[in-house]
Amino acid sequence: MKKWIAVLLVSMMAITACSSGGNNNEGAAEGGSADKLVVWAWDANFNVKAMNLAKEAYQAENSGVEIEVIENAQNDIIQRLNTGLSSGTTRGLPNIVLIEDYRAQSFLQAYPDMFEPIGDSFQASDFAEYKLGPTSVDGEQYGLPFDSGVAGLFVRTDYLEEAGYTADDLQNITWDDYIEIGTKVKEATGKDWITLDPNDLGILRMMIQSAGSWYVQEDGKTADLKDNAALKEAFEVYKKMMDANIVRIHSDWSQYVANYNSGEVASVPTGNWFTSSITAAEDQSGKWAIVPVPRLANNDSVNATNLGGSSWYVLNVPGKEQAADFLGKTFGSDVDLYQKLVEEISAIGTYMPAAEGEAYKAPNEFFGGQNVISDFATWTNEIPNVNYGMNTYAIEDILVVEMQSYLGGKSVDQALADAQAQADTQIK
Amino acid sequence: MQRMFDRFKYNGLFVKMFLVMLVSIVAVAVTVTWATISMSERVFMNTFSLTNSKIIGQIEAAMDTYNYSVVLTANGISQSGTARSFLTEENGNSLEQNNSYYSMGRMFSQISTGLEAYEVGIYITGTNGRSYATERTFWPITDSELRQHPATERAIAEPRRLLYQYDDPREAGIADSEPAVVVTKAMMDRSSSTLYGVIYFSMLESEFRRFYSSFTTPGNDVAIMGTDGTVISSNREDWLGRQDQEWLAHAVQMQEEGLPYLEANIAGTSSILVANYNPSLGLYILNIIDKDRAIGQFIDTDTIILWVIFIVMLALIIVFLISRRLTRSLSLLVKQISTISKYEFDHHVSTTGSFETRQLATAFNAMMDELQEYVSQLVHTQKQQRNAELSALQQQINPHFLYNTLASVKFMVQQGSKEKAAEIINSLISLLQNAIGNASETIPVSQELANLRNYVYINHVRYGERIKVNYFVSPDCMGYHVPKLMIQPFIENAFFHGFSRKTEGHIYIMVSQDGESLLCEVVDNGDGMVLDAENHLPAPRGKRQQFTGIGVKNVHERVRLLYGDGYGVTITSELGEGTKVRIRIPLIEG
Repeated sequence: MKKWIAVLLVSMMAITACSSGGNNNEGAAEGGSADKLVVWAWDANFNVKAMNLAKEAYQAENSGVEIEVIENAQNDIIQRLNTGLSSGTTRGLPNIVLIEDYRAQSFLQAYPDMFEPIGDSFQASDFAEYKLGPTSVDGEQYGLPFDSGVAGLFVRTDYLEEAGYTADDLQNITWDDYIEIGTKVKEATGKDWITLDPNDLGILRMMIQSAGSWYVQEDGKTADLKDNAALKEAFEVYKKMMDANIVRIHSDWSQYVANYNSGEVASVPTGNWFTSSITAAEDQSGKWAIVPVPRLANNDSVNATNLGGSSWYVLNVPGKEQAADFLGKTFGSDVDLYQKLVEEISAIGTYMPAAEGEAYKAPNEFFGGQNVISDFATWTNEIPNVNYGMNTYAIEDILVVEMQSYLGGKSVDQALADAQAQADTQIK
Repeated sequence: MQRMFDRFKYNGLFVKMFLVMLVSIVAVAVTVTWATISMSERVFMNTFSLTNSKIIGQIEAAMDTYNYSVVLTANGISQSGTARSFLTEENGNSLEQNNSYYSMGRMFSQISTGLEAYEVGIYITGTNGRSYATERTFWPITDSELRQHPATERAIAEPRRLLYQYDDPREAGIADSEPAVVVTKAMMDRSSSTLYGVIYFSMLESEFRRFYSSFTTPGNDVAIMGTDGTVISSNREDWLGRQDQEWLAHAVQMQEEGLPYLEANIAGTSSILVANYNPSLGLYILNIIDKDRAIGQFIDTDTIILWVIFIVMLALIIVFLISRRLTRSLSLLVKQISTISKYEFDHHVSTTGSFETRQLATAFNAMMDELQEYVSQLVHTQKQQRNAELSALQQQINPHFLYNTLASVKFMVQQGSKEKAAEIINSLISLLQNAIGNASETIPVSQELANLRNYVYINHVRYGERIKVNYFVSPDCMGYHVPKLMIQPFIENAFFHGFSRKTEGHIYIMVSQDGESLLCEVVDNGDGMVLDAENHLPAPRGKRQQFTGIGVKNVHERVRLLYGDGYGVTITSELGEGTKVRIRIPLIEG
């Protein structure tokens, strides 16, 4: 009896829906629609929080716009974007998505029509120049630069002092100087100077970008390994560090952080986003300083570089104008928002006018009163612009193997030449 | 009230019949429904347990595949020299460390290919304090926490076994984490039997659940239970991590007794339990089915009962109509028969209704006819007999009368009144002629009157004329017939008994037409008398004076015999005033 009633009700509803609905539900089935913006981002404590702050700021003035921020793991976002975009349908895709800068070009170039140019919504020149390369294609701005991956060298001042150095001695040094100081520190304290993961060559990326070089040529496609002077020097520096026996090895992020928090390792050249991991060890407050990253000695290198960082992209789905407007009015121009990002999640943006704000000038007691945000903002502007191209991680996988061969005795030129040969066959 | 009772009385048959049918139909319906439901429940239980054991088989197959990948990987890692040296050697210089970690990475990517299909994180920890992890997101636990972890202790306690363990990092205060299923295996040096490390395969419990989640529905739950009774995975999140010896006991019982299923009270609900122990996994797979919900899905008891009620109602309505139709004609017949009063044999009952009732009514009517015929024959015979009797009486001329009259004539002759004597002889001859000679039963009033005059004349001659007799006969009544000697006995009675005290008086004889009947009255103004209760005249004291055998008493009887109950003799009398006799008979034309 109940089933009959249910069937009856359902069929009645179906009839009603058929007669009245029809054309107003089609839009809702798509991922985005004009009245609701869907955002995909990873890392609940950083990117998602930042987007939520922007959402609050935007909704204060545009109360009619609903914005839903969905957290997904970065790998899931990549997989789902690739699936969705290559199938040609926009069903289930968000309006706004966060993409890591190293991967941005692979998406922008593989799916040229699926991303919306948003250059008109904000002033691209207000952003750090190095962010514009990865977020644009052929001069057309697709991404709104978000967090800065600006790198610094975090060092334990107490260990430096034991070896007779101060943080000032590390200002604007070369990697060779860095190794030399590290050797002394190890001698004095027995602590390793740096911790590395043999499977993650982030340090190489930092080194070559400081010299305005990358794994690929400026076209973003051709592998640039053999005869890449900056890369060659970076390889050599890497081996020197190993040879100097100042390197501790870790296998994953947890061990990486643990190595610093436990006080086993004295310095870490990395992106500014690592600040929160350092400050998590509250007992080490006042024992750290942040100095500019070392530069390569033999190349046209600066003491500023980048590691990681990502940007917001608008997909070509219904609601794209609204999405572009949202990004333009928040991350694209809202100085106050950037102050909040710094205060609440220590996120440093790449929007240069924001550096004038109060929060950027506040001293950080953990780092002995150093104006770390201000320093990072300054270094951000010095980061050389490179084209990350489409295949950063694919090439790096090749380099990981060649690096081990090099460490095992192969000549650097041979290692790079072999890598080049492999990359050429794999990428093309 | 009375009418209702009457109705019940006449519909008693119907009511009884209907009640019996009602009780039988309801009883049959209830029994059949109950039998159907319990039978389908049994069938359901059997098929369900059968399918669910197959489902368990499939779950096991899925888990076995995973388990096999884990075993292969664990064996690969255990047998790997790289892993062994990584976990046993001392920290060398940077380059040595680099080589070691790098080779570990290479080894993992080679060995763990079997696990790529699963979202698994592999950790290994060594006695030298080193550890290596491929992926920590599923089980966000640090190296130092891992060393203190109960899972590690259990793995070391049972070094030769692959152990499936449950861990909820939230209990250890790690926020943003989810329960995980961790497979542990201790790594042992074969030759020296010394432990040098532990391997952990971590998988989100929600991921592990995918081995069986497609088989679960609300009320059909699966729990994966370790040999210690801990639920390591279940689609019911409230069961996760619970350690229940009772469940374990149920599972062990099923395993030992080879039961296909077990009915038990699981977590407060009556459930069907299907369990299997997988020795290679060291896990019990429990399929727990909420009996009410599962059977409720399979057997729609409500619908069945509603249908049965509907059918029963329909049957009752049909039975009601048919049995009422059947019994109605019968009760109508009964009602007709019962209202026929005792002697109304000429009444017929209506022959309507069903065939049986019609036959019955026809038979009844025929019987009634025969009965009536018989009775009327009997009545006729009796009447004839009585008539004959009365006629005989009528024709018996009292010899005393004749003797007395003839004695009177003798006196007259002796006294010389020849003419008077001749008169008497004439009257006697005429009287006798009428009484004996006329054979027909009725005579015209005029003739009866002549008889009366003759009779009165004889009496006057014999006893003197102190009692005068006056005749008032309506002339239009002269032609009507009356039974012979109908009035004579009353005059006789008045003559001989009405005037014992009074010495003289009158007798009036009146004949008139009263409506459709003829009224003959004999009124005297004599002594009068006390009548008995039934207005009968007292019995005559002697027969000497009577003319014929008919006394006054027989007249009434005779009239009624001849003309029916509506006619007869009524007598009223008052002491000192006289007696009045009224004879009523129908108008009979000659």
